[in-house]
Amino acid sequence: MPRKMGEETMDLAADDAVEAILRDELARETRALGAVVPVLRHLLGSEAKALVSDAILARVRGMILDLSAQLLAALAGRDPATRAPHLADPAALDRWAETLMADEPLLGFCHALAAESLITERLQQRLTLDPVLSPLLQELIASDDPAIAGLAMHTLAAQSRFMQSQRRMELPLGELPAELFHAAVARAQGMVRGGAQDGTALMRLQAGYDEAASRLGLIARLVAAMRRGALAALALDHAGLALFASALAAATRCPRAVAVLACNEGQSARLALLLRAGGVALPAIERQLMLAEPAGRMPRALAGISAERAAALLADGAAAT
Amino acid sequence: MNSVHRTDRLIGAHGLTDARDRLLSADAPLAELQDRCGGDLPGTLAIPELLALVQQARRMGLRLARAFSAFDGDAEVTGFARIHPLGLDDGGGCEVLVENWQRSPLSPPSAREFADKLDAIDRATAEVSARLDARQQMQVLSARAPDAAALQTAALARSGTVWSELVELIGITHRQPLHWRLIDGAICQIAGSQRHWRVRLIPLGPDPHNPAGFELLLIADEPLVADLVADPGAQADAPETSPTRLVGTALTPVLRAPLARIIANAETIRARLAGPLREEYSEYASIIASAGQHLAAMLDDLADLEVVETPGFATAREPVDLADAAARAAGILGVRAQNRDTALVIEGARGAAVAIAEFRRVLQILINLIGNAIAYAPASTTVTITAAAAGEGRVAVCVADEGPGISPEQAARIFDKFERLGRGSAGDDDEESGNHKGSGLGLYISRSLAKAMDGSLTVERAPGGGALFRLELPAR
Repeated sequence: MPRKMGEETMDLAADDAVEAILRDELARETRALGAVVPVLRHLLGSEAKALVSDAILARVRGMILDLSAQLLAALAGRDPATRAPHLADPAALDRWAETLMADEPLLGFCHALAAESLITERLQQRLTLDPVLSPLLQELIASDDPAIAGLAMHTLAAQSRFMQSQRRMELPLGELPAELFHAAVARAQGMVRGGAQDGTALMRLQAGYDEAASRLGLIARLVAAMRRGALAALALDHAGLALFASALAAATRCPRAVAVLACNEGQSARLALLLRAGGVALPAIERQLMLAEPAGRMPRALAGISAERAAALLADGAAAT
Repeated sequence: MNSVHRTDRLIGAHGLTDARDRLLSADAPLAELQDRCGGDLPGTLAIPELLALVQQARRMGLRLARAFSAFDGDAEVTGFARIHPLGLDDGGGCEVLVENWQRSPLSPPSAREFADKLDAIDRATAEVSARLDARQQMQVLSARAPDAAALQTAALARSGTVWSELVELIGITHRQPLHWRLIDGAICQIAGSQRHWRVRLIPLGPDPHNPAGFELLLIADEPLVADLVADPGAQADAPETSPTRLVGTALTPVLRAPLARIIANAETIRARLAGPLREEYSEYASIIASAGQHLAAMLDDLADLEVVETPGFATAREPVDLADAAARAAGILGVRAQNRDTALVIEGARGAAVAIAEFRRVLQILINLIGNAIAYAPASTTVTITAAAAGEGRVAVCVADEGPGISPEQAARIFDKFERLGRGSAGDDDEESGNHKGSGLGLYISRSLAKAMDGSLTVERAPGGGALFRLELPAR
């Protein structure tokens, strides 16, 4: 078809641009729709029920939004602890949340915390185990050594704050491990350099950070202070999940998140191997497995596995994933 | 901001690094670990996990709190490290606080596991490996090191000869083939190489008593330095006996575990922990235990002897407060002194006599001297330890007992190797007080250590008539 040069091409070009935008939008929406079924299948699948429950998703999302609100508050020169999400621009909040959700280590950390709080609540329902003050923590608070007793008191306070903030689906920035805190603050600093925002609140935030004062830092110090007695913390019903997970992580040198997630239902092989690698005797392991998963069974082959082999198996498993 | 209180009882050690991660100052345990990890003070932090933490804390500008562990050569050290990065005005380094400092000897692996591990290490580090038949005749040989290329060529040309004809075994005069166990671990030299090579013969086949063949490994004791290759003229300065520490590195680790087991079991029998037993048998067990302890102490002494006699043995140079060192040595020996009702009196204020020496060596000498004084002086007497300045640029610490003293003839020989003088008749209850029948090496080692620190160790008559040992060292 003969066509005049000029306007029509212009129109066509404009149409092209519009179409391109629409096409991209459509592709994105198609992808989103396409993801629904696999994600749903994953969420509904019996294997992952405990690992990715609605409650966990809600808590992870809540924690990420809370971190975003704190960073925004700091960027606006306010005290991050006040958060005040109503003062923040909702679009900025979403943008930050999206950025933070792309940070896989951060997501993994939040997931482990959410799982920890939910398992702790489950243990409370099932065993009437106090989610904040476990028998072991009680003993430590009564320690003759004032330094240990003091540390245990700080831990008690931190654990109580943790359970409370988990119910509110919040996570104070200072509770992040140093690497994650650093990554988050570095992102915010990048924005300060780019825009006209004030960086002094961020500097204050950074100067006030002390990993040793965070809940996980306190628990780790307490476990270290128990020295050989830390073996006593390798009993869920005695130590409570928080101390148990830190002690198990310290004994086997695995990440704490792994120790927490091993207490989920459907992870009893991992829990059994971790306890074995931590030097726990077989009858005690069986008891711990029953606590973590009443319907679970101890893997039969465990009796023949030495602590070293258990550690090697776990390391192989970690490398394979 | 919550600063850390030094009074906190959990703090086990404290140190300070600068902007280049050099450890500037450190408490004794941290300083010792730094030394055992091969670092200097001041010098770059040599404890790998702590170095990584300090670097991370500096990079991120954040206060970290992490568990760390290190191996100090004998034991695993663990602790909880808190790293506080300092501002540029304060040097740009970090404050390092270690809580719950803990040193736990590694549980010795079983003899078989240990041997397997040694074999694996040797296989991994061998620069020459070969396969021999049952009569130790060469089948194939491959060399990775350039200075062993000549050996490879020779092995290829003379395949089928007994392997030892291709090398020069040092210290083995018997003619080959010897039983393989006698050669395993020997040192040899090979044509074209200036280095000393350790021989490993690992039997192959199902029956170790009747091997089907051997794996031959040659492990160089020194790394290959470029100008050491094929330069036959430049050999003159090489030490005649290469510093292979047979006792310290080979014998002690293997013997310590079985010895400890002998002592522990004998103690169990002696204390009748496993059931009633006739008096005589309990006494025999007590003799076995003390003989075992004697052997263990002897082994330590021999390992020390080897170290002080190694050419080029040097000690660290750090300020050592002699009164402090004396108090620590007395603390370590407190129980032994109590058992003999001996009073340990320390005279001299802290800070009054500060030497330039190596702390743990000074401590070692003092433990030897005070231990001798407790053992050889009569029970219920006083041992006096005095730290004071001693003339121009020198400081001294003296250990005086109220025993029978030492005659001039004895004084002339007392520092000789393996000299025991038969002292100790005053210590009438040798059996009871444990293993004071020493190896005869303690004073020799102590004097060698003193000399290595530019000091001296002498004996004289104490004012009260007993023996007085004087350790003099350069003052700070």
